[in-house]
Order: sequence, then structure tokens, then C-alpha cells
Amino acid sequence: MARLPEYQGKALFNRKGIPVPEGRFVQSADEAMNVVHELGFPVAIKAQVLSGRRGEAGGVLFAEDRDSLSQAVAELLGKRIQGSPVEGLLLEERAEVQRELYMAVTADPSTRQPIAIFSPKGGVDIEETAETEPAAIFTTPIDILRGFYYYDAMDLLRQGGDLESRQMLTLANLFTRLYQVYREYDCKLAEINPLALVVQGAMALDARVDIDDDALARQTTLDIDFAEEAGERAATLLEIAAATIDEKDHRGTVHFVQTDPDASYAKTTGKIPVGLDAVGAGTGLTIMDELVPLGYYPIDFCDSSGNPVGSKFYRITKVIMAQPHIEGYLFVSCVSSQQLDNAARGIIKAFKELYPRSGGRPNIPCVVVFRGGWDDVAVELFREHGISDGRWIKVLGRDTTEKETAEIFGALYREWKKETGGL
Amino acid sequence: MKVLEFEVRSGGSIRIELEKCESCETKACVKMCNTQGMGQILELKDGVPALKYSLEEVKRGACTEDLGCELECELHGNKALVITLPLPELDEYLEGLSEQPTYLREA
Repeated sequence: MARLPEYQGKALFNRKGIPVPEGRFVQSADEAMNVVHELGFPVAIKAQVLSGRRGEAGGVLFAEDRDSLSQAVAELLGKRIQGSPVEGLLLEERAEVQRELYMAVTADPSTRQPIAIFSPKGGVDIEETAETEPAAIFTTPIDILRGFYYYDAMDLLRQGGDLESRQMLTLANLFTRLYQVYREYDCKLAEINPLALVVQGAMALDARVDIDDDALARQTTLDIDFAEEAGERAATLLEIAAATIDEKDHRGTVHFVQTDPDASYAKTTGKIPVGLDAVGAGTGLTIMDELVPLGYYPIDFCDSSGNPVGSKFYRITKVIMAQPHIEGYLFVSCVSSQQLDNAARGIIKAFKELYPRSGGRPNIPCVVVFRGGWDDVAVELFREHGISDGRWIKVLGRDTTEKETAEIFGALYREWKKETGGL
Repeated sequence: MKVLEFEVRSGGSIRIELEKCESCETKACVKMCNTQGMGQILELKDGVPALKYSLEEVKRGACTEDLGCELECELHGNKALVITLPLPELDEYLEGLSEQPTYLREA
């Protein structure tokens, strides 16, 4: 999923005729002062981060004059919201809101089709409304072959209750345009929250647009850094680097996401940050479940699939090892049909380049577990290349469980820490 | 210097210094490529490794990049074969790091 920042989402809305407040993206106080000449006061100053609950985190301020604008820009630029640095702001004219509503089109995994969602309760998280007031959420499935028409939207809005007929006409028109955004830009979610009723009609005060990253190759106009699922933050440089591995080569995939990019979560919870590569996402989750109670926190999640070529394992191993905070590394395969000797060669080549003086023997605790196709060859390759003889590496085979893997890693880490004091 | 060099699908290249191969007794790269390797792109010609496919075919994916040729050559051959697999975005990331990765630190 590639989430667009609000200002880019609103640009897509604009292209499809969904009204948005007049606004500009700025990255400095000087730019803000220039822009406000065009917009006039009052203005809203909105931090452009991808995380939710931005308002609650102090990411939206208002200014009535140049002094308060200057103060707001200084306060927001450089601030961190949910761990993401604020590098840009959206300066917008402040709308006179009569009422806030909610409108979205998303994919419904249970029916495997798009679904239109409307709620008269806008401005709060839809998840919160679903918990506190589920009767205030109205939905209708969309037949993707037939499309979503004006009258479909009217039917849905009518369920919402107390809207005036003129408002319903405006909103139905807007709903069909939101569906056009969803379809045309290969969205997983196109959401307006809040959707404001204003004197002139209706206006999208916020925009949440998540693009399906499998469709990015054809969404060339969006200028999105290709990246794997990164949640509610922008992709990191390392994630962007990892995503390029699959870009030119269709033979198997490697998915890499940093679960704790600066290891701050691991450190504040007293856990040891480690790097993780798993064959099979389920195995990745299971090994995390075993590691965390023992005090080790994988600061990345990496899963390979579709029998990747050895060069992909080589590159992804270098990516994982490039995380400066890791104090250990694990490679764990499920009992897979993947050709694990390919994985082994990739890791061996990477280790030999990263640790040239020791012949590929790592200086941090490493556990590699091969279970599945060609696992015996994989284990033998590590022995043959002399890496298994390394003090801080254990190479294990198909008789090892995830629980044992975590325990073996823990014992190795404690020994390493005691002897070396760490790095 | 006699060299066989070809590009691979993922964006990289394989370079073989054929003069070193002349005295190689094992020809481990060719053996590997045709047994455990899936690509089977190498053959022996005039006593040194040669490609069974055109450079274009190899680049399009005939070479399966299992890396076996390089590792076998290193262990059992004359260290004549080098696979280069760049990842420029990773290099950029590393250049911008304020803290060294652990593999560059001394224990």
C-alpha cells in the first residue's frame, strides 16, 4: 500500500472535480508567507504526515495573521508526529463548516468487491464510530463491472437520514466522483473524513488515499516511491532500496518493511533490536512471537516468496544487515518448497562481502535455519565455506522449531554480550 | 586479458577471467551451472567457460543467478569469476547513515 499525503490526495480529488479548500504545499516559512498572500487569512496549517490522529497529536494549527502563521510553521516543521518527521505543510483557506460527514470507497475483503461507506458522523475515526455507534455507518457493495451510479449513491445517502434533498444531490454527485478516484488510481481506500457541508455545497477537508502498490507500475503520474507496506508513515530509504530488488526481476519476491526503523520502540521497551529474514510470512510472525517474550525485537519484517533467485537473497541480506541498530540476525525458513540452497548462497555471498577479514563469519549473533527444499545442501554450503565454524553463528536444519530457534539465538546473544560487551 | 563478461537479469554482471580458467583443473563453475544450477548456461569451449546462450538471452533470464558458479570457483577453482550485483539505493542509504552498520564495527 502506498499512502498519499493529504495534499497529493486532494490533488487527485481536484482532478475528478471533488471540491477541496484552496491550498498550497509549503516547506518553509518563506514559502508560507508567499502563499498566504494568495490565500488570505484565516488559514489552516496542516502537517503532511501519513499517520492517523494527526489533529490529536497537534499536527493541525490555525493562523489569523502573519505572526501566528510564522509561529505555527516554526512549531510544525521538524516536529515528529507518531515518529514521522514533518517535512512539509499544507496551507489552506479555513472553511466555514456547517456539518461534518464521512464518505469512503474501499475494498471489502469478505465480498472481494468495492464497498461504498457513508456516515453522518464525520470528523472522527470510522473505526471509533464502528465501535461506539455502529448504526451510524451505512454501506453498499459495488459491482465493479456495473459501476457506481448517482442513484446508487442516493440510495446509500438516504439511509443516512436527515440530509436535505439539495445536500443529497450534491453528495451523490461527489460520491460517484470519489468512486472514479478509487477506480482510476487503483486505490485500496479513497476516504474523505471530514467531508464538510459548507455554504457553497460540500468540500473534502481531508483526503486519505491508499494506492495498491501492486498497481504502481501503471500509476506513473502519481510519482510515488515504490515501496512495500509501510503503514501510516512514509517509506524509509532502506525500504525504498529493498523495493528496487523486485523491480527489475520477476523471479520470486522479497518483501521488506522496517517495523521499528530507528529501533526506538525496541529501546524504550528494553528489548534487543535484531534483523529478521523469513521464508514464509507465517514463519516470520511465529518467530517474532517466540523472540519478543525472550527480549528480542525484530526491527524489520522480511518475507520471501515464489522461490527467489540467489541474487535476491544476497541483496536483501545486505539490506537487513545495513540497519545500524541490529545486535543480531536471524534467517528462518518454513518447511517450504523453495530451493533453500539459493537462499544459502545469497546469504553466504553477502556475509563474505560484509565480513571479508573473517571469511564471512559475522561479528554479531546470527542464527540461520533451513527447513524445506534443499535444506541439507544449504546447511552443507555454510559448512563448506567455513562460516558455520564462526563463533557467533549457528546453522540449523529441519529438526529445529521456532521456539528452539529463539532460545538458541537467546543463548548465543547472551554469550556474545558477555564476551564482547556488544558493539 | 581474455575475459568473458555478461549481464544478468536483476541488473548486474558476471565476469570470468579466462586466463585463470586455462589452468583450472576443476572447471567447478561449469560443473555447478549444469548440475545444481538451474540455468545451465555455461559450457566448456576450448578448455574455458563459454556461454551456451546469446548475451541477450542470458540477460533476459537464462542465467538464474543462483550464485553457485562464483562460490564454487572460489572454493574449488582459480578464483576467476566475480558476480557484481549493485544496489545503488542501498549505497545511497549507507552514505547518509550517521551510525555505522554493525558489520563495520570491531567487537
